[in-house]
Parts: sequence; C-alpha cells; structure tokens
Amino acid sequence: MITVALSKGRLFDDFVSYLEKYELYKYSKVLQDESRTLYTIVDNIRFIFAKGPDVPVYVERGVADIGIVGSDIIEEEVFSYLNVSELPFGKCHFALAGPPNVEHFNTVASKYTNIARKYFNTQQQPVSLIHLNGSVELAPILGLADGIVDIVQTGNTLRDNGLIEYEKILDVQARLIANKQTFYTKEDSIYEFLSEIGVIE
Amino acid sequence: MTNNILILKRLDLGQKYLEQLDTAGYTLVDMNMIEPFSIDDKYHHPTSVVFERNNTMYAIRSDWTRTLMNFNSNYYSDDIRFGYFGPVVRENESFYQAGVELYRANEKDMIEAVLMHMNFVEDYAETSIKTMVINNDQLIDLFIEKYQLSEDIRQLIYSKNISELRRVLGKDHDLYKIISAKVSDQFDMVSKIFGDTKAMQAIAHLKEEITEENTKFILDLSFRSPQNYYNGLYFQAFLNSNSPILSGGEYNSNAFGIGLNLADGGLI
Repeated sequence: MITVALSKGRLFDDFVSYLEKYELYKYSKVLQDESRTLYTIVDNIRFIFAKGPDVPVYVERGVADIGIVGSDIIEEEVFSYLNVSELPFGKCHFALAGPPNVEHFNTVASKYTNIARKYFNTQQQPVSLIHLNGSVELAPILGLADGIVDIVQTGNTLRDNGLIEYEKILDVQARLIANKQTFYTKEDSIYEFLSEIGVIE
Repeated sequence: MTNNILILKRLDLGQKYLEQLDTAGYTLVDMNMIEPFSIDDKYHHPTSVVFERNNTMYAIRSDWTRTLMNFNSNYYSDDIRFGYFGPVVRENESFYQAGVELYRANEKDMIEAVLMHMNFVEDYAETSIKTMVINNDQLIDLFIEKYQLSEDIRQLIYSKNISELRRVLGKDHDLYKIISAKVSDQFDMVSKIFGDTKAMQAIAHLKEEITEENTKFILDLSFRSPQNYYNGLYFQAFLNSNSPILSGGEYNSNAFGIGLNLADGGLI
C-alpha cells in the first residue's frame, strides 16, 4: 500500500482529468466521488486529500509516499523530498501586477513573499513586501501596496479588479514529489504507480 | 509503549551495543557535553547550540562525530576505532546517539564495521535488514567528467528530477536512463560504466558481503545523507520502518562513522 497526497482545489480537478486522459478510470471515478472525504483507497493506493501547502509536509514526514502539488508551493517553502517530475497540468505563472501606469514598485503585497523576495533581489530592486493570506488584489485598490506578486492563470481576476500584468516572474505547474525513504522501502509499488500515470516509461 | 519501557529499552540497547563494541576492540568514550567550538564548524553543524563564555566559543554536543574528531586529535592519537552512546542537542531538542568512528580506515575496515552493525541489529531485532541504500558522491563526479556535464546537473540528480533530466540530457542519455530506472537496477547499470573504479568496487565488495537474501541492496545516485560532511561512500539501512536503523559514511578522506538509530527506544 502506498499513500498519495493530492492538493485539493483546481489541481485536484486537473489531476482527475489527467487520469481520464490516461484512461485510468479506476482512479478517476473514485476520486470524483470521494473528494469531499479525507481519504479513499483504490487497490493498492490510498489517496489523501490535503490543502496544497500541507502536501509537501505529508511527503517529507513520510505520511505520504508521493504528493501531487503545484510548483508554487514547493518554490515558496523549503522541504526535503525528491522532486521527481513535472506533470502536464496546473500550468499558470507568477506575475508582478498592479494598477496601470505604475512607474516604480516600492511596496508589494503577496501570499508568496519568498518567491517575490527572490525575484526582486535578482532584479536588484529594493522593495518592501507585505504578506497577505489571500485576496491580494485588494492591496493596491486600497492603497496598501503599489502592486502584487500572485499566480495568474487566465488574467480574468486581474482584469476584473482593474490591474494589469507588468512582468512574468516564474512558470508554475503541477509536480510529483516523493518521500526520500519510502522511495526505497516501497520501491515496487511506487514505480508501478509512476509508470501507470506516465511519469516514467 | 510506556515511557518506562522506552527508557529501559534504550538503555538496554545502549549497554548491549557498547558491550559488542568492547568485545570487538573499540575504545569506548563518554565525554563532557560542552565543547570548544570554532565558528567555521557552523557550516557542517548548523544545528549546534553555540554560546560564549570569557571570550571563548562553546557548543553543546550536537554530533558525536565532531566530538570524537576533537577527542582523537587531542588525546588517544594511537587508537583508531571508537564507540559511543550518549545524548546530543540540536536546535531545541535533545536525543541519544550511539555509534562508532573509525580513523585511517581502509575498505576492509569499513565493510567489517558495517557488517558488524548489521549483525548486531538483526540479532537484537530478530529480523533481517530489509533495505540498504548506498551512494558515493564521487560517482557523480565521474559522470560529470565522462559526459562533460555542467555542475548544475548535480542538483537535478540529488532531487531525482526525472523530467528536467530528460529535457536537459535527452531520454537516450546513460545518466537519464539510470536515474529514471528502478533504484534497485542502478547498481548493475552504473557497474557497466564505472565498474572498474575504486568507488564502485568498494560498493560491489560490500554488496558481495551482504549475503542475507531478504536484504535489498540499492545504489541510488540521488540518495543523499543528511550529514553534509560525508564526502565518500555513505549508506542507510532500514528494518520495517521508514526511518533508517543505521546510517553512516566516509568523511575527511579516510574516516568512517556509523550511527545506530535510538529513536522510540531504538530498533524501530
């Protein structure tokens, strides 16, 4: 038995679609039905449903053997795991955004302050960062910040709030991560699953 | 398990372990937990609790390997095999460590020490070691040199980033094939390329000695030891748990250490 931690939300829906594309209906059907529970078991796989930022924690601690998580999460925090493979879904990007006609960003709000800090350091641009837990678009509207660093998928949320994208910072997509110990102790089951979902040939 | 049983089990294990080392001719040591500390040590021992008294830096013992290196250079310079059992402090936690350090160790000494530890664990736990994982950073140096690879490849190997390695190297590259193969296939694959090197021969000799058929022997180029001072061969061995029961490796060219996991009373 191996345990796979799945990020709830958009990435979960994308993963189910991905499974369907691979005709792995034995997983996709059960996952669609059970996503409101805490976990479900299909054959030799136990899927647990977690908040995105918790997935690397479960994998690092060995509670989960494998995790499906957005690269935004693993770029923001430092964890210890095997960063095995990108997955062909969950594609979006980090961007610096703000109201039109901003000439210089002095204060920027973000949920992802480590990624933002890394970006502005690379640009050698001194910026004051404010950490927010969500709805970061409010910050420039209310005058808390000149701009934001956030994940952009379609750009609709920015447009709806009168913001524009100034700079693309980093591509984001789903990744498969694995625990450093159980990769050895549960090798056969893990490789079987990786092969099944097309991560290895 | 109650606290009483955990405490008694850990002490019993520690005692039996030290008796085994004594019988095998190791010099046993037990030392002050407060040690002189150089700020240069902070890189290899970042979790050490450091403090200052009378313009001198001290640390609470965080790793017996460092303690024994100081001890060996200051006192028993003729002895080359040491054994220990005692507490260490890292960040805000204290726990027990037991293990050995060998100085001026050759391949035979290292293999003997590994086998002695495996036998001790298997006798005490009354079960066989299920998995042994091994690596040597020098193998990655060999790949970089032979295939003229960028140093950036090292991080992709360590994180087993199969998708990025496929993009950078191509799916027909030997290194990509090895990293993406099952880890238990890596030994044969690497042996075909670097079987005549000293690094691979030492691993092969250890593999030959591990005759227990229930022990799966794995070479994985992505395997990393938590101790960043190891710079040669290093390994972890597992019973049924996800935590290694034994871990060890080479450092400083010809020193070799092995630690026995004592968490949860030991032999988890």
